Amino acid sequence: MTTLAHRRLASGQIDRLVAEAPDRPARLTDDHRRSLSARFRAVATPGHRRLDAWNVEQAGRAANGFHWSPAIARRALGNGALRRPSSPGTSITDAVRDEVAEQLLRAAAGYARNGSMASWLASSPDPVVGLVTAEAVNWATQLSEITADLRSTWTMAPSDAYYDVATARVTLRARRDLVIARDGERVIVRVRSGAPGKSAGPGLRADLTTETLAHPAGIAPVRFIGLWPEAGVCLAVDGSMDDLRAGARDLVRTAVAQRRRGLPIAA
Amino acid sequence: MTTLLDSPMNVVDALRGDRATRPSVDRSSAAGLRASLEDGLFEVLGTARPTSPIVVRSASLRLSPRTAELTSSAHGRLRGVLVNHVLRLWSVGTTIENAFDDALSAWRATDDESIRLVDTMDIDERARLATDVAAHGVTLTRSLGPMPGRWMPRSSVRANQSLAGGHVLLRDVVDLMIGTDDRDVASIVLFDLTTAPLGEGVERAMRYHALVQTLRTSAVPLRTSAFSTATGELWVRDVDHEMLRRSVGEVLACVADQWGRR
Repeated sequence: MTTLAHRRLASGQIDRLVAEAPDRPARLTDDHRRSLSARFRAVATPGHRRLDAWNVEQAGRAANGFHWSPAIARRALGNGALRRPSSPGTSITDAVRDEVAEQLLRAAAGYARNGSMASWLASSPDPVVGLVTAEAVNWATQLSEITADLRSTWTMAPSDAYYDVATARVTLRARRDLVIARDGERVIVRVRSGAPGKSAGPGLRADLTTETLAHPAGIAPVRFIGLWPEAGVCLAVDGSMDDLRAGARDLVRTAVAQRRRGLPIAA
Repeated sequence: MTTLLDSPMNVVDALRGDRATRPSVDRSSAAGLRASLEDGLFEVLGTARPTSPIVVRSASLRLSPRTAELTSSAHGRLRGVLVNHVLRLWSVGTTIENAFDDALSAWRATDDESIRLVDTMDIDERARLATDVAAHGVTLTRSLGPMPGRWMPRSSVRANQSLAGGHVLLRDVVDLMIGTDDRDVASIVLFDLTTAPLGEGVERAMRYHALVQTLRTSAVPLRTSAFSTATGELWVRDVDHEMLRRSVGEVLACVADQWGRR
């Protein structure tokens, strides 16, 4: 049986979700990985495919062509700002400005490839950079308020989780923003804009599965928590084998749905 | 209610007020307000299931059937969006050289397709809009004063609250929010920007911002405010339970009105 907890995002709620998480997480073995790879190989595609929770929630429907915008850049910059070592007196706005400056410096030094956020920022006029900063400050402040409420030990996730499915030309991606430690296990928190839809649960399980596959030993987080601060709600799924299986099934189904729709494959 | 018109004190200082007199943050009222809303919505909707959700926004409460506000014209709406972008840039310390061009440039980077309304304007209309935005932008930036980063300013903060099993949606965008809700003392201040003179509708919007913020975070904000770039007037109200209850009534009346027209 799969699990899905739905709570209002009130003070102390994330700590309660962490404390109530099951003691022992499930573990994916090499057999599980081989089985998943075989299923993805059965869904042949002409190119490389990248799947994430958003694809699962959209049932494989195509996204509009990707282009950078302040709303897209805010998460990377906001999380980057919170990862920076802070000194006393440094505000979130200062940290975001430093993060933006580092991106611009990377572009000026020639380390940014075409199409990257750094090159987009470098080619944007000052007001656009200002708007990007405003969006990133919103994101970082929101996340900082969430972490300020946490009693558990937490760290910013160093990056999203990626897993290349062997010989299937598929890359899975899981969003993760915070990693909370609990008795040697981990709880992952990811933050999303807007309000959760009816398919938010399957999306969360897809992220849980990808996060587990990306773990070197295949150990699942004891809980995967999705936060929607705009709606003031959080959902959580446990790192159980049933949830991992459901997540893997949804990812494969999404690949099948994409093939049926004959969509161009996003690299 | 504080009115700040041609006062030497800048708006941000007026919003923050005296730190020593701030009350403890109220984290217990949100559940009761939500229950009142749910009960009231059941009285309005009964067991009916609207085919599409009834959406309440601050604009739904701002507009009264008897008054046509200056912001409701197409020109007024465009001016409002552009001046809001000036506020967003100002909140993070971006230097504004030309309010209209800078705001338009920032707006163009978003995926908002309504910017085409500006692109299709004739030269005279566009010049009129540019002059208007520049004038409102000057009033805004002069009145606001510098915004220290330690006050955690964030702009265009969105909120979505789903009620009555998802049949009623409360949507809100607070133009500027300062302070944080992670302390024991209330410090969140909500700031609503309008390019029209302040009126009765703005008061309802101020209350609505406070209500939706309370429902979203389960913490009652310290103050709610509205500033008019047309007059330079600022209204500030401390948020209390009575204000929130009043807003609950206004939201229910708005839903009943929308439901009655379906």
